[in-house]
Amino acid sequence: MGFFIKLAWRNIFRNKRRTFIAGVAIAVGLASLIFCDALIRGMKDNLIQSATASFLGEGQIHARGFRETQDAEKTVNNLPAVLDGLRSEKDVELFTLRTMSLGMISSPANVSSVLFVGVDPETERRLSRVDDVLAEGVYFRDGGERDMVLGSDLAELLEVGLGDRVVVTVSRAGNGDLAQEMFRVSGIFRFHIKEMDGSFALARIDKAREMLGLDGGAHEIALKFRDNRFASDPENPFWDKHSRAGNEAVSWTALLPELTRVMDMVWFALGFLAVILFGIVVFGIINTLFMSLYERMFEFGVLRAVGTRPSGVRKLIVCEAGALAVLSIVMGSILGFVLTFVLAKTGIDYRGIEFAGTGFSELLYPVLHVSQFIIYPAAVFVFTILVGLYPARAAGRLTVADALRKSL
Amino acid sequence: MSLHGDAKCAAVFGLALAILAARAPLRSQEDARDIVKKIDALYRAETSRALVEMTIVTPHWERTLKMRVWSMGMDRTFIRILEPKKESGMATLRVGNEMWNFLPRSNRVMRVPPSMMMGSWMGSDFTNDDLVKEYTFLDSYTFEMIRPEDAVPEELTISCVPREGLPIVWGQVVIAVRASDHMPLREKAYDERGRLAREIHFREVRTFGGRRIPSVMELVPKTKEGHKTVLRYLEAEFNLPVDESVFTLRNLRTRSRP
Amino acid sequence: MILRMAFRNVLRQKRRSVLTGLTIFGGFTLAVIFIGWADGSYNNIIDEFTRNRLGHIQIQEKTYFDRPSLYKTVDDPEAVSGVLERIPGVESWSPRVVSAALAASGDKSAGIQIIGLDPEREAKTTRFDRKIVRGRLMGGPGSKEAVIGRGLADILKAGPGDELALLTQAADGSIAEDLFRVTGVLSSGDDMSDRTSVHLNLEDAQDLLVLGDRVHQIVVTVTSLGRVPAVARAIDRDLDDPSLRAVPWQVFARSFYEAMQADKAGLWIMLVIIVVIVGVGVLNTVLMSVLERRREYGLLKAVGTKPRQVVRLVLLEVLLLSLTAVFLGALVGLGANAFLAEHGVKFAEGLTYGGMEFGTMRSEVNARSFIIPLVTVLASAILVSLVPALQAGKTDPARTMRLH
Repeated sequence: MGFFIKLAWRNIFRNKRRTFIAGVAIAVGLASLIFCDALIRGMKDNLIQSATASFLGEGQIHARGFRETQDAEKTVNNLPAVLDGLRSEKDVELFTLRTMSLGMISSPANVSSVLFVGVDPETERRLSRVDDVLAEGVYFRDGGERDMVLGSDLAELLEVGLGDRVVVTVSRAGNGDLAQEMFRVSGIFRFHIKEMDGSFALARIDKAREMLGLDGGAHEIALKFRDNRFASDPENPFWDKHSRAGNEAVSWTALLPELTRVMDMVWFALGFLAVILFGIVVFGIINTLFMSLYERMFEFGVLRAVGTRPSGVRKLIVCEAGALAVLSIVMGSILGFVLTFVLAKTGIDYRGIEFAGTGFSELLYPVLHVSQFIIYPAAVFVFTILVGLYPARAAGRLTVADALRKSL
Repeated sequence: MSLHGDAKCAAVFGLALAILAARAPLRSQEDARDIVKKIDALYRAETSRALVEMTIVTPHWERTLKMRVWSMGMDRTFIRILEPKKESGMATLRVGNEMWNFLPRSNRVMRVPPSMMMGSWMGSDFTNDDLVKEYTFLDSYTFEMIRPEDAVPEELTISCVPREGLPIVWGQVVIAVRASDHMPLREKAYDERGRLAREIHFREVRTFGGRRIPSVMELVPKTKEGHKTVLRYLEAEFNLPVDESVFTLRNLRTRSRP
Repeated sequence: MILRMAFRNVLRQKRRSVLTGLTIFGGFTLAVIFIGWADGSYNNIIDEFTRNRLGHIQIQEKTYFDRPSLYKTVDDPEAVSGVLERIPGVESWSPRVVSAALAASGDKSAGIQIIGLDPEREAKTTRFDRKIVRGRLMGGPGSKEAVIGRGLADILKAGPGDELALLTQAADGSIAEDLFRVTGVLSSGDDMSDRTSVHLNLEDAQDLLVLGDRVHQIVVTVTSLGRVPAVARAIDRDLDDPSLRAVPWQVFARSFYEAMQADKAGLWIMLVIIVVIVGVGVLNTVLMSVLERRREYGLLKAVGTKPRQVVRLVLLEVLLLSLTAVFLGALVGLGANAFLAEHGVKFAEGLTYGGMEFGTMRSEVNARSFIIPLVTVLASAILVSLVPALQAGKTDPARTMRLH
C-alpha cells in the first residue's frame, strides 16, 4: 500500500498544473463550507443579539411571579446567595442588578407613564447597549446621584433636554405609598425601538432602592454568558440550578417566545440551504475528480499494459484521490480560515440607506469554530475518496486495448 | 392657598380659602417669605365645604362640571360631582396618599393605583397628585421679593425657587399679589431654562363666609395649545362642623347630598 | 460552420461535455432552488411574525404612529373598507379602537389599554381567536364582554365570569365608566402587552369612548408578503386622504425587519459563493479539457483556422453546454420549487404559540429565482471560459503537433 501512496504523490506532482487546478477547485469548495458555516453561526448570533444585547440580556433571574405582575415587593429572594452562586459559575460572563417599576414621570411640559429602572451603571454598561446608543449627553456621571438616562421619544414628549429636571413618581414596595424624587437628565439614548425610546428611564439603583423602600434588593438580575449558545438551550441545567428559593431563572427563549419560534424557523430554513450548498460542493468534487482522472485513462491503460493488476490500478487511483484531497484540504482550510478570520474581525456591512442613522446597527460577523476545521475537511476527504472509487473501478476494468486507444 | 408649582393645589379642592391679611399699608421691606407664609396659612382651615364649577377647555371639546367639595385639614378631601348628568353621582375620596373613585354606573369603588397618580383628574389640567401632595409650599421653596421690568406699583412680585433635591419640576414660580391686600393675582411657573410652563390667574374677589378670596382660578398650560381649566367658587363655608364619616369609602356610595 | 463544429465536438466528447454540463446544471438547479427556498421560507417567517401581531399594514392618522392619541382617528372606516375591497392583494382587514383606561376587578385596580375590535374580522386577520387560552371570545355589540391579557388576569386576579369596571375619558371629554364581564383570557406572545390589554367589542368600545364610528387603526393583511409595499402605496393613493397613512410592517416592526435584513445579507453571500463554486468548477473542466485537446487545436491552427475562430469554438462549446444545462436545470429547479411551494416541508409538530402556527415551510416560485441564476451562472461560465479559450487560440501548431 505504501508503494501506491508514494506513487500517487509522485503522480500528483508530476502534472503540477492539472493538480493545481483540481486542488484549487476542491479547496474552494472546502473553504466555502467553512465560511458558510461561520456565516450561518453569525446569522444566528445576529438574531439573538438583536433581541438580547440591547437591554434584555441572555437570561434573567426574578422572584417567581414578578414577571407576571411586576409587583414591587417581589424582589429576588436570597440575593447575596444567588449572586455568590452566579459568581462561581464560570459560564457566566457578567451580570447586573436592576429594579423595575411602572410609574409616572413628569416635566414642566408634560407627564407620562414610564418604566423606571434602577441600574448599577458599571455593570449595566457592560451588559446592555444603552451607553452605546446615547444620542446626547453622557451615561451616568461620577457623583451624579440624581442622574437619569431616558429614551429620546420620552425626552421629546416631556420636552426636556440635558440637565433638565424631571420628577418620577412610583409606589413603594409594601405599603404602596407614593414616592417621588427629582432627577436630572444626564443622557438621552436612542435605540430606534419605540418601546425603549418611549418608555424607559434609567437611574442609579441606590436612588431607586431608596425611593422604593427596598433595602439592597433588586427585581431583576440580567445575565450574559461567555458563549451565547449557552443561553439558547432551555434545557440547560443552569436554569434549574438557579431557580431555587422562590426565584426563577429563565433564558431569553422564555422571555421572547416569539423570537424563539422565529429562530427555529430560520434555523430550519438555513439547514435546507446548507444541504443545497453541500450538494454543490459535492458536485464540484465529482466534477473535478472525474475530469482529472478520466482524462488520464490512457496513462492508467499503459500501467495495465505493463502488468499492473486491476487492483493495483484501483489502489493507485484511490491514493491519488486521497493525495489530492489532502492537498486540497490544506489549501482549503487556509483559504477558509483567512477569509473567515478577516470578515469576523471587520464584519459584513449590510446596511443600506434605510438603516443609515440607526443608533447601533449590528454588523454580520461570521463565527470561527474548531469544528469547522475538523468536520468539513474530514467530510471532503471522505467524499473525495468515495468519488475516486468510480474512476478507480473503471480503470480496473479497462482492457488494455481500449485504454491505448486515444482517450475521449 | 397653597401655591405649589405643579400641584394645582390640594387647596383648590377643599382647602379653606382664608381671610386675607389685614389691610395694613404696604411696607416695602416686607419679607417675601412672610407674605407667602400668610397666603399659605390663610388657605388652611379645619374644615370647609364648597360648591365649585369647573370648566375644561381643550382643542377637541369644552365641558363644565359642577361639584361639591368637602375638606378636613390638609389630608382629607371628598368631592361629589353634581352635573352634568353623565357624571352626576361620581365621587372622589382622598385620604392621605390614597385615592378612590366611585363610579355610579358600574356601582363600584375603584382605588386609583399610585402609578396613575400623576394622571389628570377628571380630564382637567389638574392631576390626581395635586389632590394628594402634602408638603407645603413654604418649606419647599426659598423666597425673594423681585422687581420685574413691567412692574406695576399696585403689585408686589415674589420669586419662589424650589430647594434642591425636592421632587418639583419647576425652576421658578413667580407670584404676583396685590400690594394693598396681598390678594394673589397671578402665578407663573417656569422651567429651569426660563420657559413659561403655566399660568394661573386669580380673579373676582368675593366674600365667602367672612373670607375674601379670588373666586375664579384659571389655569392655562403654556406648552399645550388650546387648553385651559377654570375653577369658579359658587359657594364656600369654612370651619363648619363636618362629620368625619364624610371621608369614608361608605360615603362614596351614598347618593344623597348632605 | 464553427457552430456546427462546436456542436459536433460537444457530442463527440461525451464525458467531458457531460461533466461540464453537469456542473453547470447542478449549480444552476441548486441556485434556483436556493433562491426559491430562501425567498419562500423567509417570507413564511416574516409572514408568521407580522400577521400574528399587527398585520402587514396599518392604516392610521398620519401622526398616530409617532404619538398616539385618542383624538387622532380614522374618521370614516366604511370608506376605507370600500377602498380596501377594491385593491387587489388585500386579504383581510380589521378596525381597532385604542385608549388608556383604569380597570378594577374585586379590590384590585390597574392602568390598562382598551383595545376595541371586531372579533370575527380580527380572527380572520390576526388569528385573534387562536390566542385565547381560557374562556372564549367576547360577543357582539352590546354584549359588554371583555377578553383580557394573561398578565393582567394575574394582576387583577380576574378570570372568565368576573366583572371588570373600566374608567376612562371619552372623546367628548366626559368621564366614561362602565361594567364589563370577562369572558376570556389571551396570550399574545408579547408579555408586556398581556399585562395591560383589555379587548372589547369594537362598538362597545366606541360607545364607551363616544367615538361614534371612528377608529384608530385599520389592520390589513396582504395575500403575499412581497406585495406589501405595492399594496401600501395603492392604499395611500386610492384613499386620497392626506390625513391618513398606510404604515407597512417594516416601519412598525422595525427591529424585526432589521434582523431579517441582516439574515438576507448572509443569504446573498451564500448565493455568491455558490456561483463562485460553479465558476471554479466550470473553469476547472474547461481548462482541463482545453489542455487535453491542445493537439486538436494545433491541428486546427495548422489547417488555417484563425486564433479568433478557435477562441470562438471553445466558447461556443461552453455556450451550447450551458444552454442545455440551463434549460434542463430550469425544468428541474423550477419544478422542485413548484413542488416545495405546494407541499412544503414539515418541520415541527404543528404547535401553536400565541396564535403563531408553524408546521410547514414552503418554497416560492418567482421570477428572480430563475433570472438571477440564469444571468450569474451563465455569465460566470462564459467569463471563466475566456481564459482557456484564449489559451486555446494561442496554440502553436508546430509545438503541439510535435507532442506525439
